[in-house]
Amino acid sequence: MAKEMKPGQKRVTAGSVVADVMILAWFVFSLFPLLWMLLLALKNDADQTSTYFAFSPTFENFVTVLSQRGQDLTSVNFGQAMLTSVINCVGAVLVSLVVGVPAAYAAGRWKYRGSEDLMFQMLSFRFAPELMVIVPLFVIYNTLGIFDTKVGMVWVLQLVTMPLVVWILRSYFQDLSPELEQAALLDGYTRIRAFLTVALPLVRPGIAASALLAFIFAWNNYVFPLILTDSAATTVTVAVTKYLGGGGQAYYNLTAAAALLGALPPLVLALTIQRYLVRGLSFGAVKA
Amino acid sequence: MATVELLGLSKAYGDVEAVADLELSIGDGEFFVVLGPSGAGKTTTLKSVAGLVEVDRGDVVIAGRSMRGVEPYHRNVAMAFESYALYPQKTVFENLASPLRSGRTGRYSASDQQQRIDAVTTTLGINHLLKRFPRELSNGQRQRVALGRVLVRPADVYLLDEPLSHLDAKLRAQMRAELKQLGEMSNTTSLYVTHDYQEALALGDRIAVLRHGRLVQVGTPHEIWRTPVDSFVAKALGQPEINIVDAEVADGRLRAAGGAIDLPAPQHLDLAGGRARLGFRPRDLGLVRAGATAPAGDVVLRGRVGLAERLGRLMEFSVDVGGTDVIVVADSDAGAREGDVVDLHVPLTDVHVFAAGPAEEDTLRLGGAAVREPAQERS
Repeated sequence: MAKEMKPGQKRVTAGSVVADVMILAWFVFSLFPLLWMLLLALKNDADQTSTYFAFSPTFENFVTVLSQRGQDLTSVNFGQAMLTSVINCVGAVLVSLVVGVPAAYAAGRWKYRGSEDLMFQMLSFRFAPELMVIVPLFVIYNTLGIFDTKVGMVWVLQLVTMPLVVWILRSYFQDLSPELEQAALLDGYTRIRAFLTVALPLVRPGIAASALLAFIFAWNNYVFPLILTDSAATTVTVAVTKYLGGGGQAYYNLTAAAALLGALPPLVLALTIQRYLVRGLSFGAVKA
Repeated sequence: MATVELLGLSKAYGDVEAVADLELSIGDGEFFVVLGPSGAGKTTTLKSVAGLVEVDRGDVVIAGRSMRGVEPYHRNVAMAFESYALYPQKTVFENLASPLRSGRTGRYSASDQQQRIDAVTTTLGINHLLKRFPRELSNGQRQRVALGRVLVRPADVYLLDEPLSHLDAKLRAQMRAELKQLGEMSNTTSLYVTHDYQEALALGDRIAVLRHGRLVQVGTPHEIWRTPVDSFVAKALGQPEINIVDAEVADGRLRAAGGAIDLPAPQHLDLAGGRARLGFRPRDLGLVRAGATAPAGDVVLRGRVGLAERLGRLMEFSVDVGGTDVIVVADSDAGAREGDVVDLHVPLTDVHVFAAGPAEEDTLRLGGAAVREPAQERS
């Protein structure tokens, strides 16, 4: 007997069951490494190489990573590394925004001979493998005396973040009708004030999105801090790997705990910034 | 208040000439309409005056001062954009206050601002919308706010880019009437761009017709309507479009449609070459039953009604005259039905004679079929 369907209720068919099962399978497959890392972080030293799901969980690893014992094991102060990462990434994002927002505006508004080539050139920084440039960079950094400094890290990380910011924000500026700024010019505002008071507030969602993305890319970068820092400016990505024991014992449980801690700041930032990520602020400016 | 002169204004976008060698002279306080189809260069012309477009050649002179190298914010012009260009993050009040707060249109205290905005919003009937954001307004309301942002400030020139284009027909007619009554408008030199011939005829002190970025004709609405310079201008004004038929000149007569149209060739016109084109506006033709007496001196065309459409009190007839379709708009009292044989009549003064030319190409108007052009009604 056919039953009355409620609104929103879907008919269950063989196809929909198969689709759901496949989605679930993909979900398990993609999330399993995260789950495994969480379990690993909760295991004690004796259990760390076991593959059982049954063990007595402990938060000891997190405490160890943040304590003097962790530092003794790896010669790296993990809390310090976290702080360095934050400073490096915030610095790189700030530089990218201060330089990149006006650059994106200019790129979005004015076409001139070679402007597309210039934009592509900027993007091509992202194509080249970092390892390709790391040796010359290492030499340059040593010569300039910025090896293992935060300034050096900000400088190299903004190479990663700037193209992102410029490319994302350019499309936001292009979506914005130039007539808005033209109206401001005729209202008696200079070009700079028209940019600051009319265009800039309307791309705030774009600034939030690109800043977040840039922060995550900078945070996750491994190769640059691995080669260009030693101890003073080392970052969380490098600090995590120290628990794998360069020569000594490998602490997989401590590595997992450190990695989980290291993943927290981008996560918190993403959740905080989420509400600014709405589009459509410029709705109603010009006729559709 | 200021005069505006365009001296040989030219602007090309790539290979496309948006405006070419445009020469216009607009008087102090004049309401000047630029009429043309889309792509004729109307908006480019306005933006050149505003300084928003860098012109390739030529100059804009406002109040006797060359605007070469003068930034938009130093020109003291106000513009209503076709797209409204309202600041989406600001309320209607803040949008209207924006030109008053820049410091370049004069100094206004908070109460001065309030007073000016109140005056404008009352005129435009939008004072209940002050706290709203542009996204919360209908298109008609947005258009009024855009117009308000122009009127709220003193300016040498008002530039209005299709300010009524996105309103529905009823509101458009209403706003057209209101615009004409606005005191600010009648006192300030205004450049008004439109593709709507009715707006142009109703509002303009003078009209300039543009085509492909070139000036075709400048004149009062009466001049443009009565003596269009060519068939392009004649077709641009009037709905339905003017009827244009090819004619031959022989034995001192102008004949068209296989002899169904036959009138004396005007002696004062140069009809060398033996060919011409005749134009009649649908509203200038009268329609009577075949054989009924037409007014003395009128040209009479006999034909058969192919299609009759009621427009209200008026009817639009498509009449087959000797194999050529002629559109007539006549009083429905004429009582003609589809299939009836009728006589169309038109005074010689309302018959336009154009030069002959290849099909689909516009040709110059040579003159009227009457010996004299109709008297100029100057307003």
